Amino acid sequence: MVLLKNLHPPTEGVRHEQAETTAVLDGQRLGCGTLYVAETRLSWFDSSGLGFSLEYPSIGLHAISRDVSAYPQEHLYVMVNGKLNSENEAEMAEKAADDDDDGSSDGGDDDEDEGAITEIRFVPSDKAALESMFSAMCECQALHPDPEDDDSDNDFEGEEYDVEEAGEHGHADIPTFYTCDEGLSALTQEGQATLERLEGMLAESVAQQYHMAGVRTEETKAEFEDGMEVDTAAMEAGQFEDADVEHW
Amino acid sequence: MAMVVNSIRERTITENSMVILLQGLQGEVTTVDLRNESTARGRVVNVDAFMNVRLEDVLYRDRLGQLTQLQDLFITGRNIRYVHIPDHMDIMKTIESQLAKIHRVRNFGSEGGGRKEFAKKTK
Repeated sequence: MVLLKNLHPPTEGVRHEQAETTAVLDGQRLGCGTLYVAETRLSWFDSSGLGFSLEYPSIGLHAISRDVSAYPQEHLYVMVNGKLNSENEAEMAEKAADDDDDGSSDGGDDDEDEGAITEIRFVPSDKAALESMFSAMCECQALHPDPEDDDSDNDFEGEEYDVEEAGEHGHADIPTFYTCDEGLSALTQEGQATLERLEGMLAESVAQQYHMAGVRTEETKAEFEDGMEVDTAAMEAGQFEDADVEHW
Repeated sequence: MAMVVNSIRERTITENSMVILLQGLQGEVTTVDLRNESTARGRVVNVDAFMNVRLEDVLYRDRLGQLTQLQDLFITGRNIRYVHIPDHMDIMKTIESQLAKIHRVRNFGSEGGGRKEFAKKTK
Protein backbone atom coordinates (compact mmCIF):
# COMPACT_ATOMS: atom_id res chain seq x y z
CA MET A 1 0.00 0.00 0.00
CA VAL A 2 1.51 3.26 -1.05
CA LEU A 3 1.07 6.09 1.37
CA LEU A 4 -0.01 9.26 -0.31
CA LYS A 5 1.51 12.40 1.04
CA ASN A 6 0.07 15.83 1.24
CA LEU A 7 2.19 17.52 -1.37
CA HIS A 8 1.63 20.58 -3.46
CA PRO A 9 1.10 20.56 -7.19
CA PRO A 10 3.86 22.29 -9.13
CA THR A 11 3.14 25.85 -10.14
CA GLU A 12 5.94 26.52 -12.56
CA GLY A 13 6.92 24.90 -15.81
CA VAL A 14 3.74 22.88 -16.09
CA ARG A 15 3.71 21.70 -19.68
CA HIS A 16 0.44 19.87 -19.38
CA GLU A 17 -2.26 19.51 -16.80
CA GLN A 18 -4.93 16.87 -17.11
CA ALA A 19 -7.86 16.80 -14.74
CA GLU A 20 -10.20 13.87 -14.26
CA THR A 21 -7.38 11.42 -14.51
CA THR A 22 -7.39 8.19 -12.62
CA ALA A 23 -4.07 6.89 -11.41
CA VAL A 24 -3.47 3.16 -11.19
CA LEU A 25 -0.28 2.18 -9.45
CA ASP A 26 0.88 -1.41 -9.92
CA GLY A 27 -2.69 -2.40 -10.51
CA GLN A 28 -4.09 -0.45 -7.61
CA ARG A 29 -6.57 2.29 -8.36
CA LEU A 30 -5.72 5.42 -6.41
CA GLY A 31 -8.79 7.33 -7.45
CA CYS A 32 -9.45 10.31 -9.65
CA GLY A 33 -7.26 13.37 -9.69
CA THR A 34 -5.16 15.70 -11.79
CA LEU A 35 -1.95 14.85 -13.58
CA TYR A 36 0.69 17.57 -13.76
CA VAL A 37 3.40 17.18 -16.35
CA ALA A 38 5.92 19.75 -15.18
CA GLU A 39 9.47 20.30 -16.26
CA THR A 40 10.83 19.37 -12.86
CA ARG A 41 8.72 16.35 -12.04
CA LEU A 42 5.63 14.39 -12.90
CA SER A 43 2.91 14.60 -10.26
CA TRP A 44 -0.57 13.46 -9.62
CA PHE A 45 -2.95 14.71 -6.92
CA ASP A 46 -6.47 13.81 -6.02
CA SER A 47 -9.07 16.32 -4.90
CA SER A 48 -8.05 16.11 -1.26
CA GLY A 49 -4.48 17.05 -2.12
CA LEU A 50 -2.98 13.64 -1.62
CA GLY A 51 -0.74 12.37 -4.35
CA PHE A 52 2.71 11.45 -5.48
CA SER A 53 5.44 12.77 -7.68
CA LEU A 54 8.04 11.17 -9.87
CA GLU A 55 11.45 12.39 -10.90
CA TYR A 56 12.09 12.05 -14.62
CA PRO A 57 15.44 10.29 -14.28
CA SER A 58 13.57 7.48 -12.57
CA ILE A 59 11.14 7.03 -15.46
CA GLY A 60 12.19 4.27 -17.81
CA LEU A 61 9.58 4.73 -20.46
CA HIS A 62 6.14 6.05 -21.12
CA ALA A 63 3.60 5.18 -23.77
CA ILE A 64 0.09 5.61 -25.07
CA SER A 65 -1.84 2.39 -24.80
CA ARG A 66 -4.96 2.06 -26.88
CA ASP A 67 -4.93 -1.71 -26.77
CA VAL A 68 -8.08 -2.48 -24.82
CA SER A 69 -7.38 -6.17 -24.92
CA ALA A 70 -4.33 -5.57 -22.77
CA TYR A 71 -5.96 -3.04 -20.47
CA PRO A 72 -9.63 -2.07 -20.76
CA GLN A 73 -9.09 1.68 -20.83
CA GLU A 74 -6.95 3.82 -23.11
CA HIS A 75 -4.29 5.35 -20.93
CA LEU A 76 -0.83 6.78 -20.50
CA TYR A 77 1.50 4.07 -19.28
CA VAL A 78 4.56 5.00 -17.27
CA MET A 79 7.23 2.59 -16.16
CA VAL A 80 9.32 3.73 -13.25
CA ASN A 81 12.65 2.18 -12.29
CA GLY A 82 12.47 1.02 -8.73
CA LYS A 83 9.67 0.99 -6.28
CA LEU A 84 7.95 3.95 -4.71
CA ASN A 85 8.89 3.95 -1.08
CA SER A 86 6.90 5.59 1.65
CA GLU A 87 8.50 8.90 0.76
CA ASN A 88 6.86 8.58 -2.63
CA GLU A 89 10.04 9.18 -4.51
CA ALA A 90 10.97 6.36 -6.82
CA GLU A 91 14.33 4.88 -6.00
CA MET A 92 16.88 4.21 -8.67
CA ALA A 93 17.08 0.59 -9.62
CA GLU A 94 20.55 -0.19 -8.33
CA LYS A 95 19.45 -1.75 -5.09
CA ALA A 96 16.05 -3.07 -5.81
CA ALA A 97 13.56 -5.40 -4.33
CA ASP A 98 12.19 -8.52 -5.88
CA ASP A 99 11.61 -8.13 -9.58
CA ASP A 100 8.05 -9.28 -9.39
CA ASP A 101 5.69 -6.96 -11.20
CA ASP A 102 2.70 -7.66 -9.05
CA GLY A 103 2.52 -4.61 -6.92
CA SER A 104 4.52 -5.59 -3.89
CA SER A 105 5.48 -2.19 -2.66
CA ASP A 106 7.97 -2.95 0.06
CA GLY A 107 11.19 -1.57 -1.27
CA GLY A 108 13.38 -2.78 1.50
CA ASP A 109 14.82 -6.03 0.18
CA ASP A 110 18.30 -6.14 -1.15
CA ASP A 111 18.09 -8.54 -3.99
CA GLU A 112 21.03 -7.56 -6.20
CA ASP A 113 18.90 -8.86 -9.01
CA GLU A 114 17.06 -7.22 -11.90
CA GLY A 115 15.73 -3.78 -11.11
CA ALA A 116 12.25 -3.65 -9.73
CA ILE A 117 9.81 -1.50 -11.58
CA THR A 118 6.61 0.30 -10.83
CA GLU A 119 3.90 0.44 -13.44
CA ILE A 120 1.62 3.44 -13.39
CA ARG A 121 -1.34 4.03 -15.62
CA PHE A 122 -2.89 7.45 -15.96
CA VAL A 123 -6.39 7.07 -17.32
CA PRO A 124 -7.86 10.40 -18.40
CA SER A 125 -11.56 10.72 -18.92
CA ASP A 126 -10.70 12.65 -22.08
CA LYS A 127 -8.97 10.06 -24.27
CA ALA A 128 -8.17 12.65 -26.89
CA ALA A 129 -5.79 14.25 -24.42
CA LEU A 130 -3.46 11.26 -24.45
CA GLU A 131 -1.30 12.62 -27.27
CA SER A 132 -0.75 15.92 -25.46
CA MET A 133 0.03 14.16 -22.23
CA PHE A 134 2.47 11.90 -24.02
CA SER A 135 4.18 14.73 -25.90
CA ALA A 136 4.50 16.85 -22.79
CA MET A 137 6.19 13.95 -21.04
CA CYS A 138 8.56 13.46 -23.97
CA GLU A 139 9.58 17.10 -23.79
CA CYS A 140 10.11 17.03 -20.05
CA GLN A 141 11.97 13.72 -20.17
CA ALA A 142 14.37 15.19 -22.69
CA LEU A 143 15.18 17.93 -20.19
CA HIS A 144 16.64 15.34 -17.86
CA PRO A 145 19.40 13.49 -19.66
CA ASP A 146 21.17 10.75 -17.81
CA PRO A 147 23.87 12.28 -15.64
CA GLU A 148 25.54 8.92 -15.09
CA ASP A 149 26.29 8.32 -18.71
CA ASP A 150 30.00 7.63 -18.78
CA ASP A 151 30.20 7.05 -22.50
CA SER A 152 29.51 10.44 -23.87
CA ASP A 153 31.90 13.17 -23.10
CA ASN A 154 29.44 15.93 -22.43
CA ASP A 155 32.03 18.55 -21.93
CA PHE A 156 31.37 20.29 -25.20
CA GLU A 157 30.43 23.67 -23.90
CA GLY A 158 33.72 25.40 -24.35
CA GLU A 159 34.74 26.07 -27.87
CA GLU A 160 31.75 26.08 -30.07
CA TYR A 161 30.22 29.35 -31.09
CA ASP A 162 27.15 30.46 -29.29
CA VAL A 163 24.14 31.06 -31.42
CA GLU A 164 22.28 32.69 -28.58
CA GLU A 165 25.08 35.12 -28.17
CA ALA A 166 25.05 35.80 -31.88
CA GLY A 167 21.38 36.43 -31.48
CA GLU A 168 21.96 39.04 -28.86
CA HIS A 169 24.19 40.91 -31.24
CA GLY A 170 21.28 42.04 -33.26
CA HIS A 171 19.92 39.00 -34.96
CA ALA A 172 16.63 38.74 -33.21
CA ASP A 173 15.11 36.12 -35.39
CA ILE A 174 17.11 33.04 -34.81
CA PRO A 175 15.50 30.56 -37.10
CA THR A 176 14.55 27.14 -35.91
CA PHE A 177 16.90 24.54 -37.23
CA TYR A 178 16.08 21.09 -38.38
CA THR A 179 18.47 18.30 -38.94
CA CYS A 180 16.25 15.83 -40.67
CA ASP A 181 14.57 15.41 -43.99
CA GLU A 182 11.27 16.51 -42.58
CA GLY A 183 12.82 19.77 -41.62
CA LEU A 184 14.42 20.29 -44.99
CA SER A 185 11.13 19.63 -46.69
CA ALA A 186 9.55 22.14 -44.33
CA LEU A 187 11.49 24.86 -46.07
CA THR A 188 9.42 27.26 -48.06
CA GLN A 189 10.09 27.58 -51.74
CA GLU A 190 12.08 30.66 -50.99
CA GLY A 191 13.98 28.84 -48.30
CA GLN A 192 14.72 25.98 -50.63
CA ALA A 193 16.00 28.38 -53.27
CA THR A 194 18.16 30.13 -50.72
CA LEU A 195 19.58 26.85 -49.55
CA GLU A 196 20.48 25.86 -53.07
CA ARG A 197 22.01 29.22 -53.81
CA LEU A 198 24.13 29.13 -50.67
CA GLU A 199 25.29 25.62 -51.31
CA GLY A 200 26.23 26.66 -54.79
CA MET A 201 28.12 29.63 -53.46
CA LEU A 202 29.96 27.47 -50.99
CA ALA A 203 30.97 25.06 -53.68
CA GLU A 204 32.18 27.98 -55.77
CA SER A 205 34.20 29.55 -53.04
CA VAL A 206 35.82 26.32 -52.00
CA ALA A 207 39.04 27.24 -53.78
CA GLN A 208 39.56 29.99 -51.24
CA GLN A 209 38.89 27.73 -48.30
CA TYR A 210 41.38 25.80 -46.34
CA HIS A 211 42.33 22.52 -47.85
CA MET A 212 44.03 21.32 -44.74
CA ALA A 213 42.06 18.15 -44.43
CA GLY A 214 41.37 18.68 -40.80
CA VAL A 215 44.67 20.17 -39.71
CA ARG A 216 44.19 23.63 -38.35
CA THR A 217 46.86 26.21 -38.83
CA GLU A 218 47.33 29.23 -36.64
CA GLU A 219 45.50 31.28 -39.19
CA THR A 220 42.45 29.14 -39.04
CA LYS A 221 42.54 29.20 -35.29
CA ALA A 222 42.18 32.92 -35.25
CA GLU A 223 39.32 32.92 -37.67
CA PHE A 224 37.33 30.03 -36.37
CA GLU A 225 36.28 30.35 -32.79
CA ASP A 226 34.71 26.98 -32.62
CA GLY A 227 36.23 23.57 -32.84
CA MET A 228 33.75 22.25 -35.31
CA GLU A 229 35.33 23.30 -38.54
CA VAL A 230 33.90 21.78 -41.64
CA ASP A 231 36.24 21.09 -44.46
CA THR A 232 34.25 22.49 -47.32
CA ALA A 233 36.66 21.11 -49.88
CA ALA A 234 35.73 17.71 -48.60
CA MET A 235 32.09 18.61 -48.95
CA GLU A 236 32.54 19.55 -52.54
CA ALA A 237 34.41 16.37 -53.32
CA GLY A 238 31.72 14.43 -51.60
CA GLN A 239 34.12 12.95 -49.10
CA PHE A 240 33.83 13.18 -45.46
CA GLU A 241 36.40 14.40 -43.00
CA ASP A 242 35.34 13.25 -39.63
CA ALA A 243 38.87 13.84 -38.49
CA ASP A 244 38.03 17.52 -38.23
CA VAL A 245 36.60 17.12 -34.82
CA GLU A 246 39.02 17.88 -32.08
CA HIS A 247 36.95 18.10 -29.01
CA TRP A 248 38.63 15.51 -26.97
CA MET B 1 6.28 15.84 -36.49
CA ALA B 2 9.61 17.47 -37.24
CA MET B 3 12.00 17.13 -34.36
CA VAL B 4 14.36 19.96 -33.70
CA VAL B 5 17.80 19.65 -32.26
CA ASN B 6 17.40 22.13 -29.51
CA SER B 7 20.87 23.03 -28.61
CA ILE B 8 24.40 23.33 -29.79
CA ARG B 9 25.29 20.85 -27.11
CA GLU B 10 22.94 18.25 -28.50
CA ARG B 11 24.22 18.71 -32.00
CA THR B 12 27.80 18.42 -30.79
CA ILE B 13 27.05 15.29 -28.83
CA THR B 14 25.30 13.81 -31.85
CA GLU B 15 28.09 14.64 -34.20
CA ASN B 16 30.60 12.95 -31.95
CA SER B 17 28.87 9.76 -31.01
CA MET B 18 27.22 6.79 -32.56
CA VAL B 19 23.84 8.18 -31.67
CA ILE B 20 24.05 9.84 -35.05
CA LEU B 21 23.58 6.42 -36.58
CA LEU B 22 20.45 5.89 -34.52
CA GLN B 23 19.10 9.19 -35.72
CA GLY B 24 19.42 7.86 -39.21
CA LEU B 25 16.93 5.18 -38.27
CA GLN B 26 14.05 7.62 -38.38
CA GLY B 27 11.19 6.08 -40.28
CA GLU B 28 12.57 2.56 -40.01
CA VAL B 29 10.90 -0.25 -38.17
CA THR B 30 13.22 -1.88 -35.73
CA THR B 31 13.55 -3.52 -32.35
CA VAL B 32 14.87 -1.92 -29.20
CA ASP B 33 16.07 -4.15 -26.39
CA LEU B 34 15.66 -2.60 -23.00
CA ARG B 35 17.91 -3.19 -20.06
CA ASN B 36 15.08 -4.78 -18.13
CA GLU B 37 14.85 -7.59 -20.67
CA SER B 38 11.76 -6.28 -22.41
CA THR B 39 11.72 -5.41 -26.10
CA ALA B 40 9.85 -2.95 -28.23
CA ARG B 41 9.41 -3.20 -31.98
CA GLY B 42 8.05 -0.26 -33.90
CA ARG B 43 8.77 2.60 -36.25
CA VAL B 44 11.39 5.07 -35.13
CA VAL B 45 9.92 8.52 -34.80
CA ASN B 46 12.92 10.20 -33.26
CA VAL B 47 16.18 9.62 -31.46
CA ASP B 48 17.71 12.52 -29.58
CA ALA B 49 21.27 13.21 -28.54
CA PHE B 50 20.73 11.43 -25.23
CA MET B 51 19.58 8.30 -27.02
CA ASN B 52 15.98 8.69 -25.92
CA VAL B 53 14.04 6.75 -28.54
CA ARG B 54 10.51 7.44 -29.60
CA LEU B 55 8.65 4.71 -31.47
CA GLU B 56 5.15 4.45 -32.92
CA ASP B 57 2.90 1.49 -33.68
CA VAL B 58 4.78 -0.60 -31.23
CA LEU B 59 4.60 -4.21 -30.23
CA TYR B 60 5.98 -4.30 -26.70
CA ARG B 61 7.03 -7.53 -25.13
CA ASP B 62 7.64 -7.35 -21.42
CA ARG B 63 10.21 -9.54 -19.74
CA LEU B 64 7.63 -12.20 -19.05
CA GLY B 65 6.89 -12.42 -22.75
CA GLN B 66 3.56 -10.68 -22.55
CA LEU B 67 2.68 -8.70 -25.66
CA THR B 68 1.03 -5.31 -25.71
CA GLN B 69 0.36 -2.91 -28.51
CA LEU B 70 1.30 0.68 -27.89
CA GLN B 71 0.47 3.59 -30.12
CA ASP B 72 3.41 5.71 -29.06
CA LEU B 73 6.35 4.78 -26.90
CA PHE B 74 9.16 6.89 -25.50
CA ILE B 75 12.10 4.98 -24.07
CA THR B 76 14.63 6.81 -21.92
CA GLY B 77 18.15 6.39 -23.26
CA ARG B 78 19.41 5.08 -19.98
CA ASN B 79 17.06 2.13 -20.24
CA ILE B 80 18.20 0.96 -23.62
CA ARG B 81 20.53 -1.95 -24.05
CA TYR B 82 20.47 -2.43 -27.82
CA VAL B 83 18.94 -0.83 -30.83
CA HIS B 84 18.81 -3.21 -33.76
CA ILE B 85 19.96 -1.82 -37.07
CA PRO B 86 17.86 -3.20 -39.93
CA ASP B 87 19.87 -5.44 -42.22
CA HIS B 88 19.10 -3.40 -45.30
CA MET B 89 20.67 -0.28 -43.92
CA ASP B 90 24.07 0.87 -45.08
CA ILE B 91 25.63 2.05 -41.85
CA MET B 92 28.44 4.16 -43.25
CA LYS B 93 26.17 5.90 -45.73
CA THR B 94 23.67 6.62 -42.99
CA ILE B 95 26.29 8.15 -40.74
CA GLU B 96 27.69 10.22 -43.58
CA SER B 97 24.34 11.54 -44.63
CA GLN B 98 23.39 12.41 -41.06
CA LEU B 99 26.64 14.31 -40.61
CA ALA B 100 26.04 16.09 -43.89
CA LYS B 101 22.64 17.22 -42.68
CA ILE B 102 24.14 18.69 -39.55
CA HIS B 103 26.79 20.51 -41.52
CA ARG B 104 24.24 21.79 -43.98
CA VAL B 105 22.24 23.23 -41.14
CA ARG B 106 25.30 24.81 -39.69
CA ASN B 107 26.17 26.49 -42.98
CA PHE B 108 22.69 27.62 -43.80
CA GLY B 109 22.30 31.35 -43.67
CA SER B 110 25.97 32.00 -43.11
CA GLU B 111 25.95 34.50 -45.94
CA GLY B 112 22.74 36.32 -45.50
CA GLY B 113 22.49 36.98 -41.79
CA GLY B 114 21.09 34.53 -39.33
CA ARG B 115 23.65 32.57 -37.41
CA LYS B 116 27.26 33.56 -37.71
CA GLU B 117 28.92 30.26 -37.20
CA PHE B 118 32.06 31.27 -39.01
CA ALA B 119 33.47 34.64 -38.24
CA LYS B 120 35.27 34.90 -41.52
CA LYS B 121 33.45 35.76 -44.71
CA THR B 122 33.74 33.06 -47.29
CA LYS B 123 34.08 35.35 -50.29
